[in-house]
This record gives sequence, C-alpha cells and structure tokens, in this order.
Amino acid sequence: MTQTLIDVRLTVNGEPVERAVEPRRSLVDFLRHDLGLTGTHVGCEQGVCGMCTVLLDGEPIKSCIMLAVQADGAEITTIEALNGEELHPAQRAFKEAHGLQCGYCTPAFILTSVALRERGLDIPREELKEELAGVLCRCTGYQNILTAVETYLAADD
Amino acid sequence: MKPAPFAYERAASADEAVAMLDRYQGDARVLAGGQSLVPLLNMRLMQPEAVIDVNRIPDLDGVREDNGHVRIGALARYSAIEWSPIVGARLPLLSEIVRYIGDRQVRTRGTIGGSLAHADPTGEMALAALALDATIVVQSPTGTREIAARDFFLGPYFTVLEPADMIVEVRFPHHTMVTAFAEHARRHGDFCVISVAALGEPDGDAGWKTVRLAVGGASYRPFVADEASAALSNTALEPDAVEAAGAACVEAAEPSDDIRASADYRAHLLPIYVRRVLDQMKARRSQGAT
Amino acid sequence: MTDVVSIPETEIAPGRVGGRMERVEDERLVRGLGRYVDDLDPPRVVHVAFARCPYPHARIASIDASQARAIEGVLEVLLPDDVLGRTGPISILRPIPEAPRVMPYALPREIALYEGQPVVSVCATSRAIAEDAVAALDIDYEPLPHLSDVEKALAEDAPILHPELGTNLLVQNPRGDGNPEAGLAESEVVVDDRFRINRVSGLPMETRAILASYVPGVRELEVVASTQAPHLFRKQLSDSLRFPEADIRVTTHDCGGAFGLKLGIFAEDVLVCLHAMDLGRPAKWVEDRMEFFRGATQARESLHVARMGASSDGTILAYTNHYYVDLGAHNSPMGSPMLSSLMFQGPYSFTHGYVERNVVLTNKVPVGAYRGYGQPEGCFVRELLLDRIARKLRIDPLEIRRRNFIRPDQMPWQTPGGAKYDSGDYQRCMEMAAETIGYGEARERQRALRDEGRYLGIGLACYVEMTGYPGSKFLGKHGAEYGAHEGVVVRANRSGGVDVYTGVPPIGQSTETAFTQVAATVIGLDAAKVRVIAGDTQGTPVNTGSFASRTLIAGSGAIERAGREIRDKALRVAAFMLDVPVDGLELADSVISSVDDPEISVSFADVAINAFYGHRLPEGELPGLEATAYYDPISSAFSYGTAAALVEVDPETGEFSLDRFLFVHDCGRQVNPMTVEGQLHGGIAQALGAALFEELVYDGDSGQLINGSMIDYFMPTTADLPKIELDHTEVLSPVTPMGIRGIGESGTIPPGAAVANALCDALAPFEVDINRLPLTAEYVWRLVAESRAHA
Repeated sequence: MTQTLIDVRLTVNGEPVERAVEPRRSLVDFLRHDLGLTGTHVGCEQGVCGMCTVLLDGEPIKSCIMLAVQADGAEITTIEALNGEELHPAQRAFKEAHGLQCGYCTPAFILTSVALRERGLDIPREELKEELAGVLCRCTGYQNILTAVETYLAADD
Repeated sequence: MKPAPFAYERAASADEAVAMLDRYQGDARVLAGGQSLVPLLNMRLMQPEAVIDVNRIPDLDGVREDNGHVRIGALARYSAIEWSPIVGARLPLLSEIVRYIGDRQVRTRGTIGGSLAHADPTGEMALAALALDATIVVQSPTGTREIAARDFFLGPYFTVLEPADMIVEVRFPHHTMVTAFAEHARRHGDFCVISVAALGEPDGDAGWKTVRLAVGGASYRPFVADEASAALSNTALEPDAVEAAGAACVEAAEPSDDIRASADYRAHLLPIYVRRVLDQMKARRSQGAT
Repeated sequence: MTDVVSIPETEIAPGRVGGRMERVEDERLVRGLGRYVDDLDPPRVVHVAFARCPYPHARIASIDASQARAIEGVLEVLLPDDVLGRTGPISILRPIPEAPRVMPYALPREIALYEGQPVVSVCATSRAIAEDAVAALDIDYEPLPHLSDVEKALAEDAPILHPELGTNLLVQNPRGDGNPEAGLAESEVVVDDRFRINRVSGLPMETRAILASYVPGVRELEVVASTQAPHLFRKQLSDSLRFPEADIRVTTHDCGGAFGLKLGIFAEDVLVCLHAMDLGRPAKWVEDRMEFFRGATQARESLHVARMGASSDGTILAYTNHYYVDLGAHNSPMGSPMLSSLMFQGPYSFTHGYVERNVVLTNKVPVGAYRGYGQPEGCFVRELLLDRIARKLRIDPLEIRRRNFIRPDQMPWQTPGGAKYDSGDYQRCMEMAAETIGYGEARERQRALRDEGRYLGIGLACYVEMTGYPGSKFLGKHGAEYGAHEGVVVRANRSGGVDVYTGVPPIGQSTETAFTQVAATVIGLDAAKVRVIAGDTQGTPVNTGSFASRTLIAGSGAIERAGREIRDKALRVAAFMLDVPVDGLELADSVISSVDDPEISVSFADVAINAFYGHRLPEGELPGLEATAYYDPISSAFSYGTAAALVEVDPETGEFSLDRFLFVHDCGRQVNPMTVEGQLHGGIAQALGAALFEELVYDGDSGQLINGSMIDYFMPTTADLPKIELDHTEVLSPVTPMGIRGIGESGTIPPGAAVANALCDALAPFEVDINRLPLTAEYVWRLVAESRAHA
C-alpha cells in the first residue's frame, strides 16, 4: 500500500525543512520520526491529551490531529526551539516549582505557556486553568504546573 | 493508530473543492480544522478514499459585518471567533459559547464550518447557530444555497449536506436581545450532557416580548424549543411560565443514554437548566448587559 | 513514643536529606530531552501491531493471513501456532497465595478470553503498514458466552473460563482475629452494605512501549522498555522466551508514568522480541491509546460486602469484609490486590475483625497493580461504614474517630489483618486537618446554610498505609519471584564525586534526586558531585524496582551502607596521605580535613585518584574507591494521615462543588519535602479522578468496553481539580533507614472516602448512603431522588 508522497516545505524552529511525506503521516510523527525532534510526545492520537502540542504560527495545536501535509508553508515551533545551555524562563519556572514528574507532558505545557505569554494577558488562576486544560498530566495533579505557569507569566522579561 | 491510506487533495477555491468532492462521489471528506475528522481517521473509524483540504482557500476565514449581519467564513477558527471584537460586540452569546468548545489547542484549529458539518448533537456551535437563527451558506457544484440553521441538522452527525456540498459561510443576524447560556458536562471542555441557550427581547419594565430557547445534548440533534419559546414570550418569566417552558422542552426532547449520562438524567436536568438560563438572562438584563 | 523531628526546613541545605533540592531529572526533561522508548529510532527499525480479539470470549476458528503477508512492507506475521511452541507462559512475579497460577501465553492457543487480547502479531516497515496488515487479516471468531462481572462469574450456571480450574473463583483468602460474630452481636449498632468500587485505569501519559534488538551469533537481546522494574522485566523475558537471562539487557532511560501498570512483562513484549530475533532487526511497539484501553492492565474493580458494629459510645466492636476482586481473564504479573485485606483495619483499635478476599475470573482485561493497590478500596468501605455508625449514633465523625484511634503508646500494633504497625500518632494528623479546615466553624456554617436550603458537607477519612515489604524472607514465604531489597554500586570518579548505579528506573518519582541527596549526605559531598545512573540491567546490581512504596526505604538503606563504606575508606586513604590519624578527619563538602586544623586537608577528588592509582595506600588497603551494598528491610513502615473535604451539593441535580480539600500525613523523614508534596499531589489527583470522574464501563450484553478512548474516559484536566492543601507531621519510623516511610501511594487512599463522607454529611437530611464509585452528579441525584421517593 505504498502511497504517493507529497512534498512539503515548512519552517521548523526557524529552519527551512523540505520533505516528501505520505498523506496519512501526522505532523507529530513527521516531527518526531522524520526530523528527529522527539521532545514533542504522543499520548493518544485522539486529539485529547495534548502531549503533542506544538506551536503553529505561534498558536498551540495538537500535532497528532494535523497532517504533516497540512503544515506546508507553516512555521512550527517545538520545545527544541527553547533549548540552550541555560534554561528558557518557562523551563526554569517548571523546574523551580517542581511542575513536572515523569516529564512526558512538560514540553506541551511549556509551549502552551509560551503562547499564552505571547498573548500578553494578565490571567486569573481560574482562567489559566482553562487555558491549560488542553494538556493532561497524570503525575502532578496540576498543582505545581499552575504555580510554574503563573510564575513564568508574571516574570519580568 | 494510523489512518488507512487516503489520497490528499488541496483545493484552491470552493469551486475546486466541491468539484473534487463530486469526483469522489461521496467517498471524500472535507478537511477543515480536522479536530473531529483526523481522530476518526487515526482510529480508522472513517476510511475515505480522499480528503479534500480546504484550508488554503482564500478569504474563507473572515469575520465581518454586512448589512445587519455578521458573516463568518467557514474556515474561521474558534479562537478567532472567541477573540473577534465584532463577535464580541454583535454576538456576545457566540463569544460566550465558543469558550465551551474543546480546549485552547482545539480552538486554535477547529472551524465553524467543520463543526456545523460534523453535527455532533452535543456541539456548542450548532446550538449557537440555532439559537442565533443563523443561515448556513452551502456551495455545491451547481451553485450556492442558503439553509436556515433550524433546517440544517437531521440527526447525530447527519445534516442536509449532500456529498459534494461544502459550507462556505455562516451568517448571523444582528440582534439586541439579552442572552444566556449554561451547560452540564462531565469535565471541563467535554461534550456536554445537556446545554441550553436563551435569547430574550425585553419589553417594558420586567416583561419579555420574544424569548427563544435552544437545547443541545437532549436529543438526536440540537433544536430550537418552539413551544417553550412561545410559552415564555410576552411574559415576565414568572415561575409558571418557566415551568411550562421546561416541561415543553422535555416534551420536545428525545434524550438517550450514553457514557456521559442517562436519558433520565438528561430529561431531569433540562427544565432545571432552562430555569437557570432564564434566571441568568434576567440577571444580565438587570445588570444592563445584552 | 512519638518522636517528632523539628528541624526547620530552612536550616537544611537543599542537597542534603531533608532539603528542597530541585530535581536532577529536570534538566533533561524540561528540554524535552528525556529518552522515552519511542524517541529511539535505530537504523532499520521495524514496527509491530497486533490483531486483538473484538469479543470478550471467543474461539478462534481460523486465521487467514495470506492477504496481510502480501502487503508490501510486511515482514512477518506470527500466528498462535508460531509462538506457542517456542515460548513459555508469562510468569507471575507475585502469585496469589494458595491460588493456582493462571498464566497466559503470548498468543492464545484457541480461546481468547477478553476483548483486546492479542491474537496475531504483525511486523512491518512502518506502524501504518503493520496496521494495514492487521486490517487485512481474515480471522474467524466464534463468540462464546461471556462473564462481565463477578456476580455472573460466580452464578451456578456460569461457564467456566479455565476448565482446568473447575470454577471461576480462583481463590478465597481469609484473614482475621477475635470473634467478629460475637462482636457484632454485642454491638448497639450494626451497619452493612455492598460497595462497588469502579474499574479504572492507571493511565500513564506514555503508554506501554518496547524496543528490542537482537544480535545473532553473539545472541544478545537488547531491550529498551518503559517499565518500573528492568531487572524483573529481564527475568520474565528470559522465562517466557526460554532465553538465558545473561544474554538479555533491559534499559529504561525515561518512563512517562507507570503507577503500577508497568510492572512486569506482557504478551506484547514477548512478541516484539520474537520479531526482533526472527528478523535480525530492531523491532518497536508503542502501544496506541485504543490498544491501551483494551490491553493494558486495569485496576481496582471489586465488590465489598461489609459489616461494622459499634457500642453506643461509638467504639468499633467488630468489622467484617468479604470482597470479590474482578481479576479479569487471568493473572497479571502482579496478581490481585492484597492490601484491601492486610490494611483493612486502618487506624482503629478494634480487635474482632475478619476479611476475606475472593478472586474471581471474568472476561475482562486482567487487573494489575495500581498505585495504592487495594488500599483506596478498603479505606472507602471502612470509612463510609464508620460515618454511617456516627450518623446513627449522632456522634460527630470527628469525635467517633477520636474514640477509636490506635494510640501512640499502643505501638507496635498487631492488626487482625496481619500487619504490624510500627509507630505513629494517628489522631494528631486528624486534629491538624480539622483545625486547618476550620471544622467547628464549618459545622456552624453548615447549620446556617441549611436554613437557606443550601447543603454543605464536611467529610473525613483516615488511613494507614503499608509501605515497603517486611523483608525478602517474607516475600519468599509468599512465593514472590523477587526480593524486598535494593542494591547499589557507589563508585568514586576522578571529578571529585561519585556515580551511583541503581536498577531503579526514572518513572517520575524523583528517585534520582532523592538518591543523590542520600548519597551526598552520607558521604559528605556536594549534591552536584553525585550522578545517578539508573535503570539499566547492565552494570547495576540485581534489584527489585520502583513499586510498593518501597524504593526509597530500601534504596536509601543500600546507599547509606555503600556510602559509609566509601567514606570510611576515603578517610583511611586521606589519613595516610596527610600522615595524620584517621580519627581526627572528617569529610564534608567534598573535602577531607582535620577537625582540629582545617588547613590539613585533601580533596575527595585527590583521594579518589590516588585510590585508583594505588600509589600511596596504607598497608593492606586495595586500590579503588567503590562499594556495592544491599539493604533488606526488616519490617514494613506504615504511613498514615487524614483527608478532609468540604463540599456543597445541589440536591436537585446532584451537582456538587469540592470547595476545599486537604490532606495531613506522616511519611516519617522527608528526604525531599518538595518531591513528597509532588507525590501527594499526584496520588490525590488520581484518587479524585477515580472518585469523581473515571470508570471503565463494560456493556453487560456485549461484554465490550464502552468507553475505551481518551474522549470517553474522563481523566480530569487542570480545570477539574481543586486546590490541594497539604500539611504533615514527621514521626520517624523506628524500623527503616533514617526513619523513612513510603509516600508514593498515600495520596490515592483516603480522598474518595473523604469526598463520599462529605456528600453524605451534606445530604444527611435526606439520609443517603453512598455505596459505589464514581461519585457523579447523576449518582448523587439518584440517591436523593430515591430517598425522597421513600420518604
């Protein structure tokens, strides 16, 4: 059942990428297994758990329910874009607040938070809970995740 | 959990999209936001021969005012609707309801057209379209036609759309009514158990001229509760009118059992939510909100 | 007597035992640089998918794989006959006492016993193609009568699932002491009910996953798996593959959550290894979420038939509980929950008790371990019955507990269930919880609000938790195929630090950090100088793994011993190098110096390098600076505490809000208070999930799972959980290293009971009695409606 491959050109973490993909390849499989960007995880492929959250043109999406071919021309940001010797402020906030345990959901929460900060809102905790409800976590009970995100959103540049 | 193979076609215009749909004779699916379609593809619960990606069709995602209407392109994303100043000013009920849909990630991608075409009986967008008396503009290979929201939904995941049809726009008339909304769900952002939206036109000091109630989750499709609405129009929403409206909603509903709730519970909740929504509407009126 | 440690946290350096050290795991994890199984894509990797039985019980009449094999990219299709001759059954790590071992093979011989059981295994060049091949298989199933719950399974005319057993009741294990019937007869009040505990899933965000590579000729099988116990995984693979354990290496780099569900091997693991060995290519299987809900072990479901009697002053006189565990189709590696029996007494001092575990086979996914394993269930039943007695006797729930607690001066306490509580002040935790939640004011507010037609409820639930095993000999007596110990290698390095080698894998429970703190403290090093190498069977001592709230107890015991050995040798070598007596030297902050004259000093790094070279050593001292040590616990330590919940209920709809939830506990010495809090948050969230939202629902007619997806299984989101308030006491356990009690599972135990008691308290005017989970609004509404109908 070999399928016709389709060319896609997109920008991933600031770098141009050109590949030919099967139509049925999800964006998350493309990022992880074609580009080796394994910081984005897979949790359900049903569009619920949010492990696969990446930024599409700056906004958070679930990359398990977007086809790679649909990302043609798009700008994708994954957790790897934040990585350096020093932690990104969002990463640091999660570490300081003990906002993670197994770490599987962490990149998704961090990217969701980065997009929230870009929106530049002063968000009360109850609304923040709703903004973060698209990513599930089974380890932390979300307590310290909320603290981490609040700290990160409140921090000066 | 990977989809069965399918062909991928990208439409550059609505004309091209419906021509493609026509060519596949019912075995192609429109891919808009993909928030319902792609999970179904992943689980192989849907195995179309082709998906027609309509996301690149230009000028199909706008929100604009036009001659007493708000016209929302089929590809407008939930987040765009949520944050649209036009929607906020003209259709506050829609702004309110859209926040109940899925979660932030889903709202980044999901579209109004996709939601209506999917026709989930618990879907908030369908409820909003009914409550706000929207008109759904549909393109087919032979032209476009306009369908009133109340004529659009036939059953669970089933609409009047033909295989080669595609929604291109949803048109909401301006209104000056007071609105309210409430729903019961098992968890945040989940499909609702039941939902009720209300619009009312104030009349005099405490009276209401026309009231419209729309109900989701309580039947095989969302519906406008006409008899309940009639029972409330030209009243001051006195307890007996509210009770009559609740009873009329239950009468009109055909709830079913599912993993989220039993039919009994849905029927039980319905008049209570009708009352709550009407209370909310009254409170908003006295706060001066519309 | 009670010995409460009161070192203010602020005085403890973060890297020391007791300090709030940031986690060493996090530097990689927040960057997305953890290495979960699916992150590895070795060259030529191939992918596995399974055909799974769609029926709860079916005869496999025929399988035609010809079309599947013809698909381009399909490399191998394994049918039952291809597998049965060359593999043994999947062994059981913790057999159920006195029960026959019902061990499955990787593929069923003829009869599939549950929906989701793998029937055919396919390996292809991509997962998508493997799934295409699964879809192309032509399997003819003949559905058989199925059993979807324990009552059906125990009915007279029920079909027998395993004919060789002659019954669906796998075993009946009684425990008890005293004379419960006499106690009940003597009681002023007796309450009884049948309690249904819901079937739930541990639901780690990373599903099960395995990558197996085989090197022919040298016959090495290298496995990367998402497991809690790599050494046990290795042993079981060896058993089932009939392949020497010496030639198998199992590694867990990172694991995206486990919670008991990833203990031992499963059919899929065996099959993936067979593909890797047959094809000579790395083979990978990452369970998808559809498979997960029908293939990964499930948890908790049980029916409890219980009675409790008390005297007129509320003193519990007797308690009995006959419970029926819905095991599913066969044993999982960790058998069935035992702790509903062992811990059935809780913190109360009654002496007449009887508990009976009945393990029942049904056509469902096997039940496995899940955080708390039996203890949330037992706590729910006991705490709800106690509140019913309180209501009947018009004694406040707080007061009735005061009258029943085991007191510190009664320790150690031998329970009728067979546990020996080590120490603790149970009442103190409850009083702290009551004070923090404002118990007295809440009662007043409750009365005032009731006049307005509002229903406020306050609920308490207390628990004692067994943490760790009482030694390897104990496990041996019970047939376990592992020990209670942990072993570590601690080896100095040239950078002035030590490497700690442990088989305990990183599963999110912060063991790398805790082990770092223990090693740094014991040896006298900066925490930054300790590196933990975890989860690889190659190079780590044979160990047990991360489960049963035992890891830190046993692990810190081993690190303490190895660390002391290294420190003592370092001091001896340093004394020789400095030409001073060893008695006057100390090792602190990575420097060895004279107590009297700090100028006389040598760095730990220089000592280690000298020890490696062996150039200047005391007479008789061998080169090297490392130690291997094991620690075998002498007794279990018992954690304990109280959960308190404040709810407001709308009796008209059954909707309720959980306005406050707090938890006061004691886990003895806290190696890292920050991660202790994290463990509690997570355990409590899972408990509230199971109590309020989650349930795997099987259709009674079809026997099939109705809600097997993330869409329909209601795991709570950020917006669904309340703020969790925590407090603690720190009574050191006399039976463990440093006084540690386990903490990983505590959070799961009392929350469901506390919320249920709060609901019953709120709805006291309606006299409702809760007897099942989950506590949905619809269920609460039904209780009120039924009560009104009877009124």
